[in-house]
Amino acid sequence: MTTVNPQPILVTGEQAFIDRTIEAHMGRPGALLGVLERVQEHHPHKFLPAATLEYIADRMDLPLAQIYSVATFYALFNLEPQGDHTICICRGTACHTRGSRNLLQRLRLELGFPEHSEDGADKLCVTTPDGRFSLRTVACFGQCALAPVVEVDHAILGHVNEQALHRELENLDEGKA
Amino acid sequence: MAKLLPPRPRIGVGMGTCGAGNGAEGVYHGFAEAIGQQGCDMRLAPVGCFGFCAQEPLVNVRLPGQPLVILRQVATSDVAGILDAVRENRIPEKLALCKIEEWDHLTAHIQYGAGYPKIPLWNEVPFFKPQKKIVLRNCGLISPDDIEEYIAVGGYQSLYKVLIDANPELVIEQIKASKLRGRGGAGFLTGIKWEFMRRAAAGQKFLICNADEGDPGAYMNRNEIESDPHALLEGMIIGGYVMEATEGIVYVRAEYPLAVHRLNRAIEQARQSGLLGDNVMGRGFRFDIRLVEGAGAFVCGEETALIASLEGFAGRPRPRPPFPAQKGLYGQPTNINNVETWYNIAPIVSKGPAWFSETGSAKSAGTKVFSLVGKVANTGLVEMPLGTPLKTFIYDVGEGGSDGRPVKAVQTGGPSGGCIPQEMFDTPVDYETLAQLGSIMGSGGIVVMDEDNCMVDVARYFIEFTHSESCGKCIPCRVGLDQSLRLLNAFTRGKAGETALEQLDEMGRMIRDMSLCGLGQSAPNPLLTTIRHFRHEFEDHIRAKRCRAGVCEDLALSPCENSCPLHMNVPRYLQLLQEGRLEEAFEAVVLDNPLPASTGRVCQHPCDHRCRRRSLDSAVNMRDVHRHIADAIFESDRFDALADRIAARRLPSTDRKVAVVGAGPTGLAAAFYLALLGHQVTVYESNAEPGGMLRYAIPEYRLPTSVIRREVELIRRMGVEIQCGVTIGTDI
Repeated sequence: MTTVNPQPILVTGEQAFIDRTIEAHMGRPGALLGVLERVQEHHPHKFLPAATLEYIADRMDLPLAQIYSVATFYALFNLEPQGDHTICICRGTACHTRGSRNLLQRLRLELGFPEHSEDGADKLCVTTPDGRFSLRTVACFGQCALAPVVEVDHAILGHVNEQALHRELENLDEGKA
Repeated sequence: MAKLLPPRPRIGVGMGTCGAGNGAEGVYHGFAEAIGQQGCDMRLAPVGCFGFCAQEPLVNVRLPGQPLVILRQVATSDVAGILDAVRENRIPEKLALCKIEEWDHLTAHIQYGAGYPKIPLWNEVPFFKPQKKIVLRNCGLISPDDIEEYIAVGGYQSLYKVLIDANPELVIEQIKASKLRGRGGAGFLTGIKWEFMRRAAAGQKFLICNADEGDPGAYMNRNEIESDPHALLEGMIIGGYVMEATEGIVYVRAEYPLAVHRLNRAIEQARQSGLLGDNVMGRGFRFDIRLVEGAGAFVCGEETALIASLEGFAGRPRPRPPFPAQKGLYGQPTNINNVETWYNIAPIVSKGPAWFSETGSAKSAGTKVFSLVGKVANTGLVEMPLGTPLKTFIYDVGEGGSDGRPVKAVQTGGPSGGCIPQEMFDTPVDYETLAQLGSIMGSGGIVVMDEDNCMVDVARYFIEFTHSESCGKCIPCRVGLDQSLRLLNAFTRGKAGETALEQLDEMGRMIRDMSLCGLGQSAPNPLLTTIRHFRHEFEDHIRAKRCRAGVCEDLALSPCENSCPLHMNVPRYLQLLQEGRLEEAFEAVVLDNPLPASTGRVCQHPCDHRCRRRSLDSAVNMRDVHRHIADAIFESDRFDALADRIAARRLPSTDRKVAVVGAGPTGLAAAFYLALLGHQVTVYESNAEPGGMLRYAIPEYRLPTSVIRREVELIRRMGVEIQCGVTIGTDI
């Protein structure tokens, strides 16, 4: 956290939304997770900016360190802006045995990311520099009978192959024009 | 009841997430639109999932007084035809999968009617035959969005009975007597757990339903909640009453939006019906249930990590004791049970513990829902009595490997489980037996693997998973998994030394014995079981630097090269051919395979199954390609020049003589390579002509002798002498 502003700068609408969300969850088990989930979902770029975290810490009367710890621990939370389109590749066991790693590599190439990460790990969440696409992996969507599964902008696609994935990308690109 | 057995046709569309992913939403909207436009007198309902995922989308149709018929693989284009049939009081038999004449919901019995002799009964279909539906008693038959349908099949009657009897101790005795064990994986006796919790004295107690189903390859909890959310609530309310808790929490993965949606709606309906709130069923008992969405951390399936997560912290486990039943959420006594455990409560209360323990094995009573996925023909959710042998899962329910290919192993229990080889498929699936094999039942994922799956890669996959999901709190897990992953990476890159396997084994045992929580203690299971049961695959990676499955990419040039028994360098000659460099392509082919025209006619081209092109359209047939290359040269005037060019590759003469016995394909190939190495080779053949089985066993129309002669000529041009009609031991 490198923000130096003593008073976090948030849009008024944003502040009001966070206030309402905190009010609805406060005092219940799982409140912090619920608040962070709702606030991230509400953000147009689906992430939690530093200022937002600071504001939540202030309003929920929790140490910022604890909120930062939670926001970085769980895979769901993003601290960076997400792309206009999110493609999420399932890396569950059934998908793995049916070739989801090839799909991941293909997408990495198509979107211009390095083919392999340095430590050889497959878990990732990256966004293209133009902010158009985010590519991420999930442990399992629980759609194993449809393996391999890819989620494109929250729609589940089953029995995906490289060609289908390529077509899907083209469709998204045409949507831009 | 009028909703389930209406005096008019009823159509139910299976609308679980997996059905939706297969197009069920389109089908449902198709029905809704058509019924709306045509004003048909029918009842349309979204239902849950009946479990046969490979045949989705499933639609069930019932005409008044007739059996319920389940239709499979229904496309939007089938909607009009189905409606036409239903209007004429017919069933579209072409689409029928099976029929249900009567159904035991356990809490109620439904008679649909008898008829349709041509359609098989549901339990005559191999996929369903060995199954017994207790947990999934309502799934796929009732609407998950409608509390009235749940009540119509006897829902909430067990709760009513418990509240009227007002004897919580008796309920605990019943659960204990049923020998129900926790379905989350560890298999602790539920009744004992409940008793601990009931005895704990405190102002506030919490119940938690663990629906953070993080095991990749398992999705039964998602389906149970999506298909029958009220049964979960009923189990929890009974638990709340018996254990004197006032608040229940369902911790669901955020990756399951439909489950979250349906459960929230069910909770709302239950509150409106007075089944949740300050005065449950007017019996003066206060209990409410709330839903919390998990945020994508596998470790939160561990109970103490889950509690930390609910308290607003990162999900890091704590040492036990104290157990949650003593000190759990906010320091209060807390009971945590898996989704499926809660689903068993109402039937036990309704039908009694003796009925429940009739099913299953001596120590593992009842049924368990398994997700049968991976390389198996019939994928889906199956509920089987515990103690059923694995082979029943794979060969009866699953009907063998996908595309009819042989099954090599199954992986049970997700990242905490292990791999069981095909030789051990007689193993009964229950808590104890799987543990003996180094695996666990876990949440019930069964992932089937075939020859295309490399077991080293599978071990690496799971270690990578637990490596990235380790919370980082204790060192054996954090550092040990990292070291294991590095070692496994070395294996997949062909860089592992002879000692690496022992190191891995030792590392795995260390992590297992020394980690703080269940994640670390069980994380090495996939590794240790693959080392135990598939040691030869690890050794292949060390010594031969070979990955038979062709998964470890650094060890194989390409999938086709790896699957070729001759390891022909397919990419090289394909590229040369594409560039029009036919002669160089021929050279490349011949150096890998001295009999390219013969194999070009009789090879079984196993490379087809591995061809990456298949994901685009269809495989490139390499047999035809190298046959074309060989024929183009053999039949042209360039043959002489090329034969000389290949002969020029011979190493300087070693002045050694080698005799080869038999001029079959092996003898010819051996002679060819020995000649290339500079030896002076003579082949002795007892038959009148060289070629062996190629010449005398394969008929002329399949492999003309002229082709063999051409190839023999090429081998002769290497300086090989072939003497026919000579029998070793008689003539020499």
